Amino acid sequence: MNLQGMDIDVAVIGAGPAGMAAAIKAREKGAENVLIIERDTRLGGLLHQCIHNGFGLLYFGENLTGPEYSHRFTEKLLDTGARALLETMVLRISGEKEITAVNRRDGLFTIKPKSIVLAMGCRERSRGNINLHGTRPAGVLTAGTAQRLVNIEGFLPGKKIVILGTGDIGMIMARRLTLEGAEVKAAVEILPYAGGLIRNEVQCLHDFKIPVFLQHTVTKIYGEKRVRAVDIAALDANNNPIPETKRTIECDTLLLSVGLIPENELSTAAGIKLDPVTGGAVVNEARQTNVEGIFAGGNVLHVHDLVDNVSWESEIAGEYAARFAGGKKPPAGQITLKAGRNIRYVLPQIISGKNNVDLYLRVREPQKKVIIKMGGIQVGKTIPGVKPSSMIKLDLSAEDQQKFKRNEIVIDCLTKGD
Amino acid sequence: MQENIKIICIGCPLGCEITLTIGQKGKVEDMWGNSCKEGKAYALEEYQNPARILTSTVRTKNCSRPLLPVKTTKPVLKTELMQCISALARIRVSPPIKIGEVVLDNFLETGVDVIATDNL
Repeated sequence: MNLQGMDIDVAVIGAGPAGMAAAIKAREKGAENVLIIERDTRLGGLLHQCIHNGFGLLYFGENLTGPEYSHRFTEKLLDTGARALLETMVLRISGEKEITAVNRRDGLFTIKPKSIVLAMGCRERSRGNINLHGTRPAGVLTAGTAQRLVNIEGFLPGKKIVILGTGDIGMIMARRLTLEGAEVKAAVEILPYAGGLIRNEVQCLHDFKIPVFLQHTVTKIYGEKRVRAVDIAALDANNNPIPETKRTIECDTLLLSVGLIPENELSTAAGIKLDPVTGGAVVNEARQTNVEGIFAGGNVLHVHDLVDNVSWESEIAGEYAARFAGGKKPPAGQITLKAGRNIRYVLPQIISGKNNVDLYLRVREPQKKVIIKMGGIQVGKTIPGVKPSSMIKLDLSAEDQQKFKRNEIVIDCLTKGD
Repeated sequence: MQENIKIICIGCPLGCEITLTIGQKGKVEDMWGNSCKEGKAYALEEYQNPARILTSTVRTKNCSRPLLPVKTTKPVLKTELMQCISALARIRVSPPIKIGEVVLDNFLETGVDVIATDNL
């Protein structure tokens, strides 16, 4: 295909679950020329290395593995006639929606689609992000890197493993490495509870009797060429290590599962405003950013715990991107949503007040028997329990929004009866 | 002889710790700690049939990709997971393989098949 000057309605950056769902929806909603740009050699993104199951329980009502979930979308994407450009790296997006990209076949080229969906996903926080003390030997890697080595490339990254952080990928790798013959000596978590989903805590840590150290952290790494051991210590109320509790664990590998960061370098260069809490763009209910015609969905917008929600959210972005390409602008934002009591963030941050909207919320702390109030009005039913690792999805009807009296609405997560 | 065992429910973020009192012959005599009836059903199932779908990879030959992801078609008893994984370590597969294709049938005489979860 001759790319330079090609007529493109919707360009999607990234062909992981978010990008595939957005591209499919954009085609279904009438965008003629949809182009999906991906730096990897295949469609599907991170799903290929997530060989465990638990995907699609909500979206398909089936328990699929990552590759199976990816396969469903890849087939559908090809059926819709969207075009995919693989092994192509987007270098820059301008505020005027001009995309500069490069690949081996076409060299450096620019395209100017009518609208863009950002679906670049997120990346893992690494050792540099958390300032771990000690030497710098081989054997300190992120859980996702270990996942790629074990599940795609066929290497075991170590024999005696300590995992810092109990994010979902960390817990899943604890199980995976155990099954592949490594000994997981400890899962160390700063918080007083495991960071990921309950099902992973039970099926990955408890099932394999992995020793879990809550309210602990790694304080030092030993080893010259290769990791030899790590120190762990309990934390006091201010999250400072308690020296007397220090113990040394011999290991050859330290895995880090310490959070994910939306990958937004392209977005900021395009003049897109980011939310300091989510690390992703500030968007309205159409998932449109502050730059008209640029939309975003999935982990580039905020880190999700379930891929099903990534797909749904990106379909919203894909739909409105298609409409925009057809000359229809999304509903104007009127009401700003603000995180209140025990709410870490809410997405979208801006709503029109006119349409039914699914809100995605995350809490700061676990809480039981909660009700969500928006501007003092209860929305939805009582929720038995909430946890920071589990995103809350809340249906907000247009009718409910009629009751809002201000154009800035605070959302609170309250214990029922308080 | 009674014994109490604890099961954490995975149904929702509450993660209720459910205690089951097990009498003679493994009969569930009492249960508490659950917050809903789904939790009760989960705890019973988890006690009576502690099984998991096993997902893993098998080595390939004559292929640029070194591994093929696979899963069991039915849950495998938790106590048999390590045996199953050893059996998978012994096989090699060659392309072409279609997603859903049986890679290993009647795995360890359990009546469970192992199928490909990706094309190769």
